[in-house]
Amino acid sequence: MEAKYDFARKYREQILKCSKCGFCQAACPVYGSTIRPALNARGKMLILKEVMDGEIELNDALIETLFQCTTCASCFENCPSGVNVPEIIKQVRKDMVHIGSCHPAFEGMNAVLKKHTNIYAEDEPEDFERPRNQKADIIYFIGCVGSYREEEATMAALDLLDRLGVDYTLIDEVCCSGVLEDVGYQINADLVKINIERILATGARKVITGCPYCWRTFKTRSAYAELLNRGVEILHMTEFLTEFNLDVRTEKRVTYHDPCDLGRHCGVYEQPRATIRKIAPNFVEMPSNRENALCCGAGGGVRGAFAKNSIAMARRRLKEAEEVDAEVVLTACNSCIHNLSNAKLRKQKFKIYTTTEFINKLMEENS
Amino acid sequence: MHAKIKTALIDIVGEENFTDDLIDLVSYSYDGSQHKHRPNCAVWPDTPQRVSEILMLANAERVPVIARGAGTSLSGMAVPAKGGIVLDLSHMNKILKISIEDRLAVVQPGVVYADLEKALVPYGFFFPPDPASGKVATLGGNVATNAGGLKGAKYGTTRDYVLGIQVVLPDGRIMRTGSKAMKSVSGYDLTRLFVGSEGTLGVVTEITLKINPKPTATSTALATFDKLDDAGRAVSRIMYSGIIPSALEILGRHTILAINQDTDLNLPEVDAMILVETDGYTQAETDYQIQKVVDVFVENNATEIKRAETEEEAVELWAARKSAYGVLARIRTHFVLEDVTVPMGNIADLLKGIEAIAKAHNLQIATFGHAGDGNLHPQILYDGYDPDEVKRVEAASADLFRLAIDLEGTLTGEHGIGLSKAPFMSLEHDPVAMEVMQTIKQTFDPNNILNPGKMALER
Repeated sequence: MEAKYDFARKYREQILKCSKCGFCQAACPVYGSTIRPALNARGKMLILKEVMDGEIELNDALIETLFQCTTCASCFENCPSGVNVPEIIKQVRKDMVHIGSCHPAFEGMNAVLKKHTNIYAEDEPEDFERPRNQKADIIYFIGCVGSYREEEATMAALDLLDRLGVDYTLIDEVCCSGVLEDVGYQINADLVKINIERILATGARKVITGCPYCWRTFKTRSAYAELLNRGVEILHMTEFLTEFNLDVRTEKRVTYHDPCDLGRHCGVYEQPRATIRKIAPNFVEMPSNRENALCCGAGGGVRGAFAKNSIAMARRRLKEAEEVDAEVVLTACNSCIHNLSNAKLRKQKFKIYTTTEFINKLMEENS
Repeated sequence: MHAKIKTALIDIVGEENFTDDLIDLVSYSYDGSQHKHRPNCAVWPDTPQRVSEILMLANAERVPVIARGAGTSLSGMAVPAKGGIVLDLSHMNKILKISIEDRLAVVQPGVVYADLEKALVPYGFFFPPDPASGKVATLGGNVATNAGGLKGAKYGTTRDYVLGIQVVLPDGRIMRTGSKAMKSVSGYDLTRLFVGSEGTLGVVTEITLKINPKPTATSTALATFDKLDDAGRAVSRIMYSGIIPSALEILGRHTILAINQDTDLNLPEVDAMILVETDGYTQAETDYQIQKVVDVFVENNATEIKRAETEEEAVELWAARKSAYGVLARIRTHFVLEDVTVPMGNIADLLKGIEAIAKAHNLQIATFGHAGDGNLHPQILYDGYDPDEVKRVEAASADLFRLAIDLEGTLTGEHGIGLSKAPFMSLEHDPVAMEVMQTIKQTFDPNNILNPGKMALER
């Protein structure tokens, strides 16, 4: 019998391999903050198995679980059977959108990017007082969160590039739109075209991104393959920074939160740490780190659609920072910064920065 | 479910702790086994009083109640076989007390095994019965199923550590059993009656557990055997050596082949591989123990023996054993993981018998397990969408149980009876024992509301 949905056509074998052991419960951030097994990866796989077997329908009743996944991949990392849950979830969301069952917040994201150039539908971009669309070897690509929500972190990143004497330009960037693939839609070809054209027009050989998600999108999505084909190197700011000798130091107790896009999705764990260790000898790991790092709760459209649980996930993460008495929590993702900062309690005295912002701050204090 | 019962449940636990949403009903229909049945609803109680009120209501209305922790059980004991109310206790997840001077911990049933482990680390203590699912399994579930683990041979199972419980009976009465004292011979041992009763007699709402100081040193070695008989004899001879290893694990040929297909571990393709760990408080002590075991391996024609010199090497030796479950889980769409257990002297016969059964039913059965306490895990791999193969799996399971009983063993060493083995209870227990068990069930739960359909308790 021909499968009714693409998720079944593509992932039937994988879904059946879920042995129902439930080990994902130990790692799933959504389960961890709700203690509701229906929201855990196993719960999701059981539901999809019943859909494939024709026992239940794919419909609105399933939105609460199938759209409530940050696609952080900690389940995949811990799955004895190797079930790639995030990829399955992304596909089933597309199937659901196709049949008209979609969380309104996810629908909104797609609608916004049809009309606007960024995910927040902001029409007045921050200027950042830097050269734009110039000929340069290097482009700094900010991303939506850095442009419209975490402007301070972005300003600090640009200041740092200036201090390090990097010759770069900004461009009139638009949303990379990679996130649409996660929330049930297709990457927006118009936006992709604009970004590619504007990047290539500068003649730049390197694009440094402030956002790990944009970085991953440029590097892995076929829509952006032209960049790689034309020899443009895509670097996340964290990778770029390893090239520099940073002549600053802090005695503060510093910890690092692994963004899922950089860590579990792309295996970048050590470079950010190497940079931080250079400047902060009192570096300390949180109990869950690297491939086991707890997710900040922002990804996969969850922050927009399930705000309360998203904040609860960030709170769990920050509790770990508290446990190790960190004074500074660093990360390499504006989206993580955004969610963690929103979740921070007044009694929590540590500061949260991107690594770039923190280094710039130290340099500022030194000068 | 009757609207009146739903309203009454919401009155007890509050709207936010009641669900009859489809997504929850689907997820509570399963555990780690191949069984499945929909409940009518689920509740997340947070106090023993609320559990008591729920049971009182269910008893009056004759509605089944299925207590549930992480739902990792492998025999269907958490599956609501007759529908009813799933009582998810995982929100009752507080460690109430750790008392080192009394050598005990008091926990709520929803505390995850690994969380207790973590809490004991600063004291240098641990809770020895460590099920493979310990990262997620709850202590309430461990008590209800009398969970075991890798360290069973030396440290026993959950039963050996439960000093007392608070339990809600089906009519809503709350009872305390046992004592916080290390020793107690006061009255019938009600505590032990509830340990391993699979949620059929009462709902445990608080547990007092004995804890142990954690040994600080280990030694690890691995031996391969070309002949199964040699491996079996080695296990028996270790018992004579005066050493009780903290782990004594065995991998059979089909497991080794599967691991080689799926990983780059490049294991020697032999009949059996035995992994041994000894623990203690000084390296000299654990090395002395492991040497005695290695001597036994040599005497029994081990082909190759590796001893870990460093912690990293120990991790390498453990890699094959630790990967077994995952590797086997990936091979086919379905599997049954059994846990037949025999006296240690019969391990080789059990392994041979399993191979004969696999051959007779034309099935892939890979075996690994805890040779140290005679508990093996034959994992039958199959395609659950192939009705003929499913039939053969059922027949093979039945043969497996008969084999274990013939070898003076038991149907289940640590996974429990649940639904999977209920039809085979009378193979192991004589009619008098079956009747006594049914009478006990009747005494505690005359209306049969607690986890009905399990353990062959219905007359």
